[in-house]
Amino acid sequence: MSHAHTPGNGGADHPAAPMVEEITDFEVLEIAVRELAIEHGLFTAEDHRRFTEWAESIGPAAGSRLVAKAWTDPAFKARLLEDAVKACKEIGIDWAEPTGFGTPSDYMNLRVLEDTPTLHHVIVCTLCSCYPRPLLGMSPEWYRTTNYRRRLVRWPRQVLAEFGLILPPEVEVRVEDSNQKCRFMVLPVRPEGTENWTEEQLAEIVTRDCMIGVALPRPGRTADVHPMHKARRPVKGQAHSGEAAHESKK
Amino acid sequence: MSPRNKVARGRFALLEALKNRDKTWNALAPRYGVSNPNPPWKSSLIAMCDCLDAGGALPVLDRRHAEDELADSVYSDIPEPERQLLALAHTMLSRGLITESDLANRMRAVRARLEAV
Repeated sequence: MSHAHTPGNGGADHPAAPMVEEITDFEVLEIAVRELAIEHGLFTAEDHRRFTEWAESIGPAAGSRLVAKAWTDPAFKARLLEDAVKACKEIGIDWAEPTGFGTPSDYMNLRVLEDTPTLHHVIVCTLCSCYPRPLLGMSPEWYRTTNYRRRLVRWPRQVLAEFGLILPPEVEVRVEDSNQKCRFMVLPVRPEGTENWTEEQLAEIVTRDCMIGVALPRPGRTADVHPMHKARRPVKGQAHSGEAAHESKK
Repeated sequence: MSPRNKVARGRFALLEALKNRDKTWNALAPRYGVSNPNPPWKSSLIAMCDCLDAGGALPVLDRRHAEDELADSVYSDIPEPERQLLALAHTMLSRGLITESDLANRMRAVRARLEAV
């Protein structure tokens, strides 16, 4: 598939990303099954387009709002921990019909896992990729890898450290395995330095990874900020980017 | 064997012939220098599963039970998301929602359409 980049559409000098120039049997199978299902009246092409659009457009914003509200409203937090599906309706998420046009493949059993200073939760789906989509959107790629799924339940601290999250020994780590009967989301501890913040400010630091449990919320760390530590020992003479080359000459 | 495990008893020649690891996205993407971790049909597959559940043709729990069983048996050598696609087609064939001959014919027609110049 070719794709022309034009000025004002992401950069005229930016080369088109490579695509797989091959029609596989799997691509053909997906189309064939879908077309037959539509012809047999199992669903319509319009249904399919709308579900695709929904699945590709949802993000973790609803989960962030949920956490921020729980941090600022103790009564809401109590309701959330008691009956998460019911509490979600208060922020406009109806698990029975999150799309507003039908029931997607998610479940009506959601549990919110409250972290404390001595207890940290992290979620996984050891079987496949079960995930609280109405709140967090599509799961990240790494969430679906066997690396994460298999190792997190065995060596959670080791895996969390690979995400840069090193928890002290006195903090208990609890892994919850999502499945077709229950979905989970982590309610992290509200970090220090956020006193008097509004819900909107708080929601900004509750990123997707914080609600999975592989990161902790921190003032200044939002989803659209990409901090990068300078290499402590850059390889001399082999830098590729301009900045790295500059650093190596210092 | 519980009733929900019936799905893995059968094999479909059409789907067996597609079990080629060399053509899965994990194998193809690096060959073409493509960084997208998912094939372009992945979101369509997810939406199809959602549609089948929403319309009542294939409830999500039934699909997932079958998927789990097939992933451990018939399609254990195939990675995701191809495995999910094969399992869905297998389940729909098992339930008579589509037939193997219809699917074979349609695959030929789809390929001809995609390769038309």
